[in-house]
This record gives sequence, C-alpha cells and structure tokens, in this order.
Amino acid sequence: MIAIENVSKWYGDFQVLTDCTTAVQKGEVVVVCGPSGSGKSTLIKCVNGLEPFQSGKILIDGTSVGDAKTDLPKLRSRVGMVFQHFELFPHLSIINNLTLAQVQVLGRSVEGARQKGLALLERVGLSAHATKFPGQLSGGQQQRVAIARALAMDPIAMLFDEPTSALDPEMINEVLDVMVELAHEGMTMMVVTHEMGFARKVADRVIFMDRGAIVEDAKKDDFFGSPRSERAQAFLSKILSH
Amino acid sequence: MNYNWDWRVFFKPTGIGNEIYLDWFVTGLGWTIALALSAWVIALLLGSLLGVMRTLPGRYAARIAGAYVELFRNVPLLVQLFVWYFIVPDWLPEPLEDWFKQDLHPAISAFISVTICLGLFTAARVCEQVRTGIQALPRGQAMAAYALGLSLPQVYRQVLLPQAFRIIIPPLTSEFLNVFKNSSVASLIGLMELLAQTKQTAEFTANLFEAFTLATLIYFTLNMGLMLFMRWVEKRVRVPGLIALGGK
Ligand SMILES: Nc1ncnc2c1ncn2[C@@H]1O[C@H](COP(=O)(O)OP(=O)(O)OP(=O)(O)O)[C@@H](O)[C@H]1O
Ligand SMILES: [Mg+2]
Repeated sequence: MIAIENVSKWYGDFQVLTDCTTAVQKGEVVVVCGPSGSGKSTLIKCVNGLEPFQSGKILIDGTSVGDAKTDLPKLRSRVGMVFQHFELFPHLSIINNLTLAQVQVLGRSVEGARQKGLALLERVGLSAHATKFPGQLSGGQQQRVAIARALAMDPIAMLFDEPTSALDPEMINEVLDVMVELAHEGMTMMVVTHEMGFARKVADRVIFMDRGAIVEDAKKDDFFGSPRSERAQAFLSKILSH
Repeated sequence: MNYNWDWRVFFKPTGIGNEIYLDWFVTGLGWTIALALSAWVIALLLGSLLGVMRTLPGRYAARIAGAYVELFRNVPLLVQLFVWYFIVPDWLPEPLEDWFKQDLHPAISAFISVTICLGLFTAARVCEQVRTGIQALPRGQAMAAYALGLSLPQVYRQVLLPQAFRIIIPPLTSEFLNVFKNSSVASLIGLMELLAQTKQTAEFTANLFEAFTLATLIYFTLNMGLMLFMRWVEKRVRVPGLIALGGK
C-alpha cells in the first residue's frame, strides 16, 4: 500500500532523512517512534507529498508521490492525515470542517457530504457538537473531529503525526480509543507516536528512527522483546519508565 | 480674538445658480465618498491579489509583488498623483489621449486620475496587511488543507483568506480611513471634493473658521461612521478562537 524506497531529504546542507526504506501493507498498522528531531514528521509528510524529497521513491497504491506527473491533490485526497495540533479550520463549524473537502475535492453533493459528516461525528461521539466551532471544543474533541474529517474522504490509508502529544493526559485515551477501533476495522495506518501502550495493542510493526535514519524496523513482539540497536533500547527504557 | 462667528453663512446664496454654500459641502462630500470608495475597491482587489502573491511558494510572483510594494509605498502620494495626472495621459495612444484631455469633463478626468493613483497606492499597503494576515496563520493550516486534497487556489480561497481577512480587519479599517483622508489630494488637481469646497467657501465668504469647522465635523462623523461600520462587520464575522491582529 505504502512503499518507501531509499528516501533521502536535505534542508540545505542538513540531511533530515537518510536512505529510509520501509513499507506498510494493506491493513497493517505501523508505529513510528524515535527521539525529537529524528525526522519522524518529515518522513510521514513525505508520504503524501507535503514535503518534497530529493532522492528515493515513495509509492502509494502504485502511484509515485515524487513524480512530477502525479496529480498530488487527488493522491492526497485518498490518504487521510491527522496532525499534532489538530489543524481544524477555526472559521468553519465542525460539520463544515467535515464537508469542505468532500464537496470541493470529491465533488459530493452538500447534502450527501453532510450526511456522511454527521454519521462520522456520531461514530466519534460528537454529534451534539456539529454546529459548534473548533475553538469551542476541548483538545481531545478537536482531535476526534480531525480524525472524522480525514475519514470523511474514505481514505485508503491514514497517517498520524503525534496525534496525542498536544493533549492533556485525561484526553489521550478518548483519541486512542478511536484509533484502536480504526485499526481493528482493518484501516492501513502509519502512526508517529510515543504511546507504547497503543503500539503494544494494535501495531503490527514498530519503526525506530534516529538522526534521520530508520534504525529499527521490526515486528511488534520482536521490537518490545529485544530491540537490536542500543539507541532503541535506551529510547524505550526512557519513555517506558514514566 | 475678535472674530464674529456666523453660522448662517452656510445658508447664504453663493451667487452661482441657486446654490447656497451648504450645497458646495454636499457636492464635495459626494466627490470625497465616490473617490474613496472607488479607490478602495481597487486597493482591496489588487492588494489582496498582491498579498497572496507575496506568500506563494514560487519565487517570481513574490518578487513582482514585493517590487510593487517598494515602488508604490516609497514614492510620495503627491508625486504619484502628478505622474498619473500630468505624465501618464501623454503616454496613452493618440485617440485615448485626446479623449482624456479634451472630450472628458475636467472633473471626470481628474477623478479617474485620483482614483487610479489612490487605488494603486493603497493596494501596496493592503498587500502588506494581507500578507501579514496569511503569514500569521499556523503553517499547519495550509498543510491540513493540502492534505485533504485541496488545490492551491482552494487552499487560499477556502482556508487561508477567510481567516487572514478576519484577523486583519482592524489594520484594514485604518487603511480604509486613510483612503478618505488621502482623497483630499484631489483638491490639488482641481477636483472639487470636500477639502477644495471648504477652501473655496472660505475664500468666497471670509468665514474661514466656520468653513473649516464644518469640514472637520464632516470628516470626523465620516470616520466615526466607518469605524462603527467596520466594528459591526468584525463582530458579524467573528468566530471563537480567531483573534484579530492589533491595529495601529
Ligand atoms: N523547514 C525546515 N528547515 C530546516 N530544518 C528543518 C525544517 N523542518 C524540520 N527541520 C529539521 O529536521 C529535523 C527533523 O525534524 P522532524 O520535525 O521531522 O523531527 P521529528 O522526529 O518529527 O521530531 P519531533 O518529535 O520533535 O516532532 C529536525 O532537526 C528539524 O530541526
Ligand atoms: Mg514531529
């Protein structure tokens, strides 16, 4: 579904990604972790072409992201993305946040988009808030709306960039619950997160990044059992200790 | 000071047609409003376009808009007006030049010159406000919009501009008020807007203080009215969680 082959990226002289290769199969959940600044966000943004990369190849369902001939908007509309800071559109009501791209990008009817939006709000437990604005919702609620907004496009895969790290602790679970449910339904997911509980529960594989490179790419059980690299071990013991 | 205030002066006949002096002020106010509003339409449209250009990813659009701003913001308004009124018409193709200089009523040709001049001058200022507004938005907003599959024009139209305009209403309001003040340059090329009518009344009647007091009151009321109107607009489009940038 998602194939990342020898991707490297530079900001000027600074190399952010070094020869990254991995793949996410259909229905697979892959968790990406690693220290701050290791390039996790950059890698995941390369996947749907939000960041350009200088060498290597990324294929989504066979379509090359870096190819100049690729219709990027169309490709992106098929890949859902959830951000650390939610990024709901503050000037639009919750329901309009969910219908905007359905209507503008997919050309769905306003009414059809609304029905779909309402059904998804129901699913994330926020039907009562449809007419409110993002600024009136808690962080956890906003992130659930953001997930619903991505799902409204009927994506073939979902990307998450630290979806819970900007949340107060008591709100983390309401978001993780939605993600776990999604994983159980067979959604293809690539998730940057430090929530190892989530990784243990639903991940198929765990990728550990450090200084722009994929240092570890292992089955969940192998990763938590005996991560091979010292850096991964050090990282794990640090985040699992609290 | 031994000055005899005489407010009845405004109701005295001017000796020209059936007009009283108050009529001159009404005509002047009409020109001022017409000038300011038409210049503002140009400034808002062109300024928004330029402001967007300054934030586009490509180099060229941003450079062109940047050069425009430097040029129009740094040359004094009066110099620009003289260029538009005295020089540019000479560059027009012959038939257009004759039409502008001879066939058009002098007031209309002056009006066109001032409108273009003021519109383009203010566009440079609006451009910078729009750019500031767009750049004040979190970078993630555009990312999220692109991630949903919106095209570049859709990202601006649906996501960035509606937010940017909301947060720049206060500085835009002061630019809007500036257009009214700046429209008085028209008096220098003989267009009888409010300031010109005031001067003329002062000369004709020798009631200089009354004339300028009335003009001050009119400008003040106009300003207050526009400010209240913009406040109302701001309130109407306000959404929770979007905070306006400070005016100046
Ligand atoms: N626009 C940019 N220009 C230059 N350097 C950048 C830019 N964006 C990111 N970087 C650098 O690239 C590196 C990787 O950044 P990235 O955001 O991908 O890390 P991350 O693993 O997501 O970290 P975090 O856990 O803090 O989110 C960092 O060193 C960062 O400083
Ligand atoms: Mg990051």
